[in-house]
Amino acid sequence: MKIRNTPRRILYLYWRLYSQQLKAMLEYSADFYIMIGAAALTQITGFLFLWVVFSRIPDIQGWGLWEVAFMYAAIYVSEGVGSLFFEGTWRMLRLVNLGELDRYLVRPVPIVLQIFCTGIGMNGIGNILIGGTIIGISLSHVQMDWNLSTVLMAILLFVSAITIRIAINLAANCSSFWIRSSGNAFPIMIHNLGEFAKYPITIFSLGIQLFISIVVPFAFVSFFPAAVLFGKEPWSWWGWLGPLVAVCAVWLSLGLLRIGLGKYESAGN
Amino acid sequence: MSVASFKKYITLALCSMQNTLAYRLSFILNFLASFIGLIAMYCLWQAVYTGRDQLSGFTWEQMQAYLLVTFFVNSMLSYYSESSISGKIIDGSVMMDLLRPIQFQKARLAETLGSCVLEGLLSCILIGTAAVFTLGISLPQDGVGMLQFGISMLSSIFVKFCIVYMSALLCFWTTSSFGIYWARTSITNLLSGALVPLTFFPGWLESLAMALPFQGIVNTPVRIALGMTGRAEAWQMIGVQWIWIILLWLLGRWLWSRAVRQITIHGG
Repeated sequence: MKIRNTPRRILYLYWRLYSQQLKAMLEYSADFYIMIGAAALTQITGFLFLWVVFSRIPDIQGWGLWEVAFMYAAIYVSEGVGSLFFEGTWRMLRLVNLGELDRYLVRPVPIVLQIFCTGIGMNGIGNILIGGTIIGISLSHVQMDWNLSTVLMAILLFVSAITIRIAINLAANCSSFWIRSSGNAFPIMIHNLGEFAKYPITIFSLGIQLFISIVVPFAFVSFFPAAVLFGKEPWSWWGWLGPLVAVCAVWLSLGLLRIGLGKYESAGN
Repeated sequence: MSVASFKKYITLALCSMQNTLAYRLSFILNFLASFIGLIAMYCLWQAVYTGRDQLSGFTWEQMQAYLLVTFFVNSMLSYYSESSISGKIIDGSVMMDLLRPIQFQKARLAETLGSCVLEGLLSCILIGTAAVFTLGISLPQDGVGMLQFGISMLSSIFVKFCIVYMSALLCFWTTSSFGIYWARTSITNLLSGALVPLTFFPGWLESLAMALPFQGIVNTPVRIALGMTGRAEAWQMIGVQWIWIILLWLLGRWLWSRAVRQITIHGG
């Protein structure tokens, strides 16, 4: 019998796999709170840094405190959504090195779905709460006229930004099919490129700007959406490419996963 | 401490150095990953200083030097060494250490210092390369200044070790180490002056930071390296570092005696 992967079935399976992980996580409730607290603390200190810098200067290349804070928080919120719902990408190294991927290959459930649900990062809650708060305060400080079309646009950009971030995570972690090492060093390096997208990218050299716009499109997670929302010229039209970039990123990362799975040889257990 | 017992710790330090070398690809990639953060900060400050001569007593040249020396200080005792302490507690191999005739705290210090040698060397190379591109960096020229920087740098590793050690011991009460690591890192980064020089802080936050041990990790060695302190003041700052080292070391010993009662090891 052929099983069709309808969106409804995928959502159902995702929920079932996710809730099982959640039960396992809640066994260790102390860790749960520590992770949330640590993530929140990291973000608050990050924001304090911006606040201290901006207390000495009015703006950086035309970007004020709250506009930069918005970008900063966008990076953290996207990281938080990634941790909370798609943390499994960071466990791929383990899955490949220990041959645990075998189990996934024999089940009639899309592999990528099973990978996503291999773990849950509770720190995501801290990221989303504090990041969301900072985004909310930022938007209230920046002069904008909200109407139905801007709200829809903001939602579209937000969904694209999150999608791009998760596709980058997935693609970076596919490196575990090729790099035989014991640590996550390569994906962490890609993850750290997000540092560049916490600030207006115009402060960087052209090479870095192109790199984080085209090769590893972190700029579409924070900078370009911010440019559209705050009407920063000449960057705002770039932001409209967001949804297109999201589709490409998903397509490329899934392709990379497929190639990687082709190369996968079990650990032999 | 007798010579024989001192030798045990030297051996541990050498072992940890070899361990670091065994995983050199991960070690170097991790290092490069933190270099990305340095580049981002450098460009940010460059933009901040455009059209300004100085901010909170720092010129752009001094800020460049500040970033480089901070990176150097921070690369000592990296996540790599830190996770090896908490890892022992999480996976239960601390049991083996309990059987050995060595002190846990001293043994971990020896291992940490061992890998710090390599971390220091690698960051010297990277910083040297970076310094070629960013001219106009002023480091202490005279002998006494260099000596003071050297001592404060070494003391900074000790202060950081004491803090890291205690936060690792907290893993006796939890089942994962990431959360504690993140929380410790963000507090240390803010209050040590690694994110932004402490003089940029509003008065109350600066006073708070100066009253805590964290400033001994980055603020003290960096200010001495940049020649922003007088001779006497520099010795005084090193003295403060050592008061903290002694206090935190004793606190760490007390925490260990409490923590070890918490031990739960599944199977063997």
